[in-house]
Amino acid sequence: MLYQDALRLLPELFLAGSIIVLLMYGVFSGDSKTRSVVILSFATIVAAAVLVWRMPGGEGVAFAEQFQSDTFTRYAKILVLIGAGSCMIMSMRYIERANMARFEFPILFLFATLGMMMMISANDLMSLYMGLELQSLALYVVAAFRRDTLRSTEAGLKYFVLGALSSGMLLYGISLVYGFVGTTGFDQLNQVIAGLRGEGQPLPVGLVIGLVFVAAGLAFKVSAVPFHMWTPDVYEGAPTIVTAFFATAPKIAALALFVRVMSEPFAALTDQWQQILVFVALASMILGAFAALSQSNIKRLMAYSSIGHVGYALVGLAAGTQTGVEAVLVYMAIYLIMNIGTFACILCMRREGRMVEAISDLAGLSKSQPMMALALCIFMFSMAGIPPLLGFWGKWYVFAAALDAGLTWLVIIGVLASVVGAFYYIRIIKIMYFDEAAEPFDKDTGAETGFVIGLSAIAVVGLFVFLAPLENAAKLAASAVFGG
Amino acid sequence: MILQAIAFYLFAGVTVASAVMVVFARNPVHSVLFLILAFFNAAGLFVLLGAEFIAMILVIVYVGAVAVLFLFVVMMLNIDFKAMREGFVSNAPIGVIIGFILIVELLLLVGGWTIQAPAIGAIATPIPPINEVTNTEALGHVLYTKYIYLFQAAGMILLLAMVGAIVLTHRTRPGIKRQVIADQIAKGHMDTVSVQKVPSRSGV
Amino acid sequence: MQELIMTYGIPLAIIVAKILAIMLPLTITVAFYTYAERKVIAAAQMRRGPNVVGPFGLLQPIADAVKLLFKETILPSKANIIVFLFAPILTFTLAMVAWAVIPVNEGWVIADINVGILYLFAISSLGVYGVIMSGWASNSKYPFLGALRSAAQMVSYEVSMGFVIVTVIICVGSFNLTDIVLAQKSVWFCIPLLPMFVVFFISALAETNRTPFDLPEGESELVGGYFTEYSSMTFALFFLGEYANMLLMCAMTTLLFLGGWLPPLDIAPFNWVPGIVWFLLKVGFLAFVFLWVRATLPRYRYDQLMRLGWKVFLPLSLFWVVATAGFLVYFDMVPNAG
Repeated sequence: MLYQDALRLLPELFLAGSIIVLLMYGVFSGDSKTRSVVILSFATIVAAAVLVWRMPGGEGVAFAEQFQSDTFTRYAKILVLIGAGSCMIMSMRYIERANMARFEFPILFLFATLGMMMMISANDLMSLYMGLELQSLALYVVAAFRRDTLRSTEAGLKYFVLGALSSGMLLYGISLVYGFVGTTGFDQLNQVIAGLRGEGQPLPVGLVIGLVFVAAGLAFKVSAVPFHMWTPDVYEGAPTIVTAFFATAPKIAALALFVRVMSEPFAALTDQWQQILVFVALASMILGAFAALSQSNIKRLMAYSSIGHVGYALVGLAAGTQTGVEAVLVYMAIYLIMNIGTFACILCMRREGRMVEAISDLAGLSKSQPMMALALCIFMFSMAGIPPLLGFWGKWYVFAAALDAGLTWLVIIGVLASVVGAFYYIRIIKIMYFDEAAEPFDKDTGAETGFVIGLSAIAVVGLFVFLAPLENAAKLAASAVFGG
Repeated sequence: MILQAIAFYLFAGVTVASAVMVVFARNPVHSVLFLILAFFNAAGLFVLLGAEFIAMILVIVYVGAVAVLFLFVVMMLNIDFKAMREGFVSNAPIGVIIGFILIVELLLLVGGWTIQAPAIGAIATPIPPINEVTNTEALGHVLYTKYIYLFQAAGMILLLAMVGAIVLTHRTRPGIKRQVIADQIAKGHMDTVSVQKVPSRSGV
Repeated sequence: MQELIMTYGIPLAIIVAKILAIMLPLTITVAFYTYAERKVIAAAQMRRGPNVVGPFGLLQPIADAVKLLFKETILPSKANIIVFLFAPILTFTLAMVAWAVIPVNEGWVIADINVGILYLFAISSLGVYGVIMSGWASNSKYPFLGALRSAAQMVSYEVSMGFVIVTVIICVGSFNLTDIVLAQKSVWFCIPLLPMFVVFFISALAETNRTPFDLPEGESELVGGYFTEYSSMTFALFFLGEYANMLLMCAMTTLLFLGGWLPPLDIAPFNWVPGIVWFLLKVGFLAFVFLWVRATLPRYRYDQLMRLGWKVFLPLSLFWVVATAGFLVYFDMVPNAG
């Protein structure tokens, strides 16, 4: 029994064990060995990904139904690990150059990754909260990691205060749900609520209020409007590699969690949460499109862009159907690839050893670094949703699912928002290709970052050929949520 | 029975009164001291409930450790409360409104409190009879078996909190002499004193 | 009326009698402990010590008490009077209250509660408040510095003390102090858990602010630490509280490691002696060690003190918790398993 449970938990156990071992190694060998800690952490993530892929414990629940592993968790965890792994390998040189090469940095990344895996696999509101807190706490610390600069500490503090507030909301919601249903387990919640609905009893009012609070807490974690306020400031203030991390792995994990919580324990309340999600998705898309227009800092721009993307992803969830969830999953994968690539490019924006972040600094990139300009151009076109690049297909799946569910006007507004959004993505391309050339960037970015850029660019251009396997994987994952 | 009632009202009354004083005390240190009093009386309430383990842990952890650090910080910071109270009057209506909404919500919830029938069987582990198993043991039985996953997760969070606190605050200051006890002990007279042959009439 | 007296009056009288039976001897012992301290240190320093008041100076503590009673209570004008006066009362009360759960012989205990050892630990962790409050309320530099040092020190050493207690508890399987003593029937815990015994005793020294950890009072640097501003009865309460705490620590060490009231060997000449005598002998011996240490060792420096607490005792005690638990599980000797 315990053995079987532990086997299901193996990737997490492995990650936790590695964290402790690496921590000891770091403490005893000092900051001079940071690079080897980063490499070992990367290896840990790769190994964890293999374990997740192989699923040694098979599907099922473990530890008194606190934990579950199925095709959905596998799909989401692989995405998270890809995001975390890419950021980890890109951080190797970055933290050395940015003078923050301390061995705790990769370890905090690993902590956050562990938290994300735990929240994806949560099968109980309690384990959900534990995973979420582990992830958030690690992220607060990395946001403030460059503790001697005002911006970084401010970002960390803002993120912490607002994050703590949202955790409080989530917890309040959880306590209400527990109070009115009497259980926190996903499966039991699902059964009890479905039973209530089946008998046609009136819904307890506390349950609905609890659901709203839970949804608000989760919306904060995915930075959806109206809980997005922290995003631009934190993205701008945090060290760039940390921003890259924020925009990829935790987003994926939080979205996966959102999907799971809404469509498993609260599946019977779809009519209740659908309206919330429609509003949230709508507001995120519109705000992401319009607020980004006036940004001059590329990290702030990416913050609004990610708010917009979360909006599109939530359109799929708002559909409340299995195809909707499937579309969200496909969108998550595509979003991940595009964002990793873009942030890898942003990481290369250095002049004379210092990071530059203004969009105007990209001027004339096509002449000084044509390959990077081409890659960034591809990512921007993809984010704008120009066919046949990947970004287009992501939106296509999401909107198709929403149309199926009859949310026509939501789709119309979504398409309009993406047209507005296209403007600022294409503006970057215009700046790179047609503006007066600024000084070139430093070229010593290191092979890893170039590799990440190249790989994601190829994926964005060519992967639509392989959309079918991705779709199949997403279908399998979505069926785990709806089948069980 | 009457003794228990008296004890309950004593503890509960003091808890509430000191909680009120936490908010209204003019001196921040007094606030913290009232907070401690509130904790202590809450522990008394736990004892009345028969949860002596939690009561003692409350005193040891919250009163004995957390509140001490809290008191430390408050004493050292010397917070200017006059500045903090500025704008109190202008913000008071908003505070009252929010408080009112919260109270209405709470009343609403307590009024509609039900535990759905299908879930009753699922509610945790039944409490074993109190004279067979002490509540410490009962707690241990679920904490280390059923909820081991959460327990270990909480452990990871605490480890992370420690790492984070050290990362954000620890500085290695240069130019500090550190005592290395092993070196001190390993030092013998051979390392410090040397006998030299001094040739006569020339000195060292 | 009759009924009321039967249900409440008589139990109340019994409880009061029990409390008096502990409190009175305790207060007298504390008074004479101060006398013993002066005599022991005098002997260690080849002096005579107090020898004027009464035979061998035996009435010295009484004289001291009378003197303190009749002195004026000085309240510093800038002190926070309520807190200032409350601090010594708290210290003294806590030192007395803890004795409620100390069994001096089998069944000779006021409250034989389930969580006795936790109660003791909780009360001793509250002791820090008397110190902080007095230091802060005095509104004076030296007391405040002394209070800060003392609070940091007590909190630090509490951690390793907690782990030591956990080690003992996993060997016993109960928080009840009587059970803890009875579990030592075959062998006192000071033998299998010798390192923990040492850690506990040294932590007890630190917890009561005794030499070599008496920095909070450090006369030569802080004029007397947190009770610099106290005089007369308020000072006397601190003084009594402190010595009562020392005796309490000795009693705790006796219960946890030296088998409480149990004789060293359960054979003829030893088990004729009543349990309470053994208990008193053990406590007396430890109390003597407290004084002996004071007469012998110089004061620690602050960083050394912290280093000892956090870098030596904490890892050591943590390791022993794990090692003991592992040992018990491996050899299937876990008490009360099931």
